[in-house]
Amino acid sequence: MKFIKNHLMFILPLMAILLGIEFYLVFDRTTNSYEKGLKEGYTMFVVSKKPMTLSAFKALNTHIESFEAIKRKDVVSDIVKGISKNNEKAILKALPFFYNVGLDAYVNTVELDKIKADLEANADIERVETFGNSYRSAYKLFAFIKFTLKLFIGFMGIVSLFLIIKQMEIWKYAHKQRMQVMEIFGAPLMLRSGVLFKVAVTDAIVATLITAMIFLYIKFEWAAKSGIDIIVKNKENLFRMSDMGILLGAALVIVIIAVYSVVFSSSGVDE
Amino acid sequence: MSNVISASQLTLAYDNGKKEIIKNANFSIRKGEFVFITGPSGSGKSTLLKALYGALKPTGGNLIVGGLDLANITTGKLQELRTHMGIIFQDYKLVNEWTVAKNVILPLMIAGYSVDVQHTQAQRLLKHVKLSEHSDRYPLELSGGEQQRVGVARALAKNPVVILADEPTGNLDDYSSNVIWDLMENACQQLETTVLVVTHKIPTIFSLPYRHFIIESKGVYEVH
Repeated sequence: MKFIKNHLMFILPLMAILLGIEFYLVFDRTTNSYEKGLKEGYTMFVVSKKPMTLSAFKALNTHIESFEAIKRKDVVSDIVKGISKNNEKAILKALPFFYNVGLDAYVNTVELDKIKADLEANADIERVETFGNSYRSAYKLFAFIKFTLKLFIGFMGIVSLFLIIKQMEIWKYAHKQRMQVMEIFGAPLMLRSGVLFKVAVTDAIVATLITAMIFLYIKFEWAAKSGIDIIVKNKENLFRMSDMGILLGAALVIVIIAVYSVVFSSSGVDE
Repeated sequence: MSNVISASQLTLAYDNGKKEIIKNANFSIRKGEFVFITGPSGSGKSTLLKALYGALKPTGGNLIVGGLDLANITTGKLQELRTHMGIIFQDYKLVNEWTVAKNVILPLMIAGYSVDVQHTQAQRLLKHVKLSEHSDRYPLELSGGEQQRVGVARALAKNPVVILADEPTGNLDDYSSNVIWDLMENACQQLETTVLVVTHKIPTIFSLPYRHFIIESKGVYEVH
């Protein structure tokens, strides 16, 4: 019972940190694909006096990635019905050029205003419509969700770190005597910390496996049954095998820091 | 014979040099000598011993042990030096979660001896300290005298060049004390081990020739 309790006291906070990391990875992938969707669906409307090229737009602001010229004939198609060819030509000649301009990322609202200002600074550009209001509200909601989740993950990480520090104090109490005696008789650091390392690495592997199993269950069982559209669509983002490496790497880094902190704080000879 | 330990103008202190315990001490100990260090409580006997196994760095002067200057020794060299030492503590410093046999073979484990050698040596030493039947028990199941005999067996496990003993028979009964003195005398006589014992009182049963240093008023003086 004591054996299980000792292991759980390290495994659980470590798992909380790993869950936080995995949540972050999943959230990052999901928001990236959502962001990509938003980016692809967004264009600003630009009216210019002269015809523009993509390189001309890019020279004004590097966020500009694509553009599409709107056919002027299409714009005036309703107006020119029934009028003479000459008049139609005159109208077309008087018309400015219209473009839908796409960006390379789902930029924040400050950046969006800057792009607008950069375009409007060009004498040939008459008007820029960013559809700022709808963009702003979508972006703010998106940024708020992102921020609150990061805050929650950060909070979870801090609480877990405190629990790990507490466990390190228990380790120190449990292993100090042995490590000091071994040090007195000339044992190198690796030999002194060997037992603690074995315990901690085992716990790290167990914590990683449990975390991976939780996410695999969510991915293959829960996600499909949930019926929640966004989760079903982003099922592939829920857990990837490469995450296993990230989780194990993070767990081992925490273990190495924790073990060496205990080993170094236990060195020296008590009176 | 060559000096195993030599100190010149040695100063030892705590609290970053503020609390001096030993000041400008000069002494040397040759290979195979048996040395007693006595002195009143708090005079610095244990402090000197700590400095000899590198747990306390000199704040002044030189302290050379096995040809190495302990004031400027690297961690690796200190570890190496300690593997040639057998250290006995008044409070035994055994690992309570290990069996008696495992405690005894610690120096052999550190030196990387094979399991067979470790086992044979443990049985031989435990026989010497008359604890053969206790090899699978744990230190806290033994009496103080028995625990100290385990400590002595551990100190002798690797035939060390130097034995440093801090009040090895401090609170022990006569039987355990006699066993311990016999073992240390034998090591000194048969293996030319240098033995340095910090004690309140030199035992009356002691039969070997020995040198006696006294620590008084921060100085280390030889008694003739």
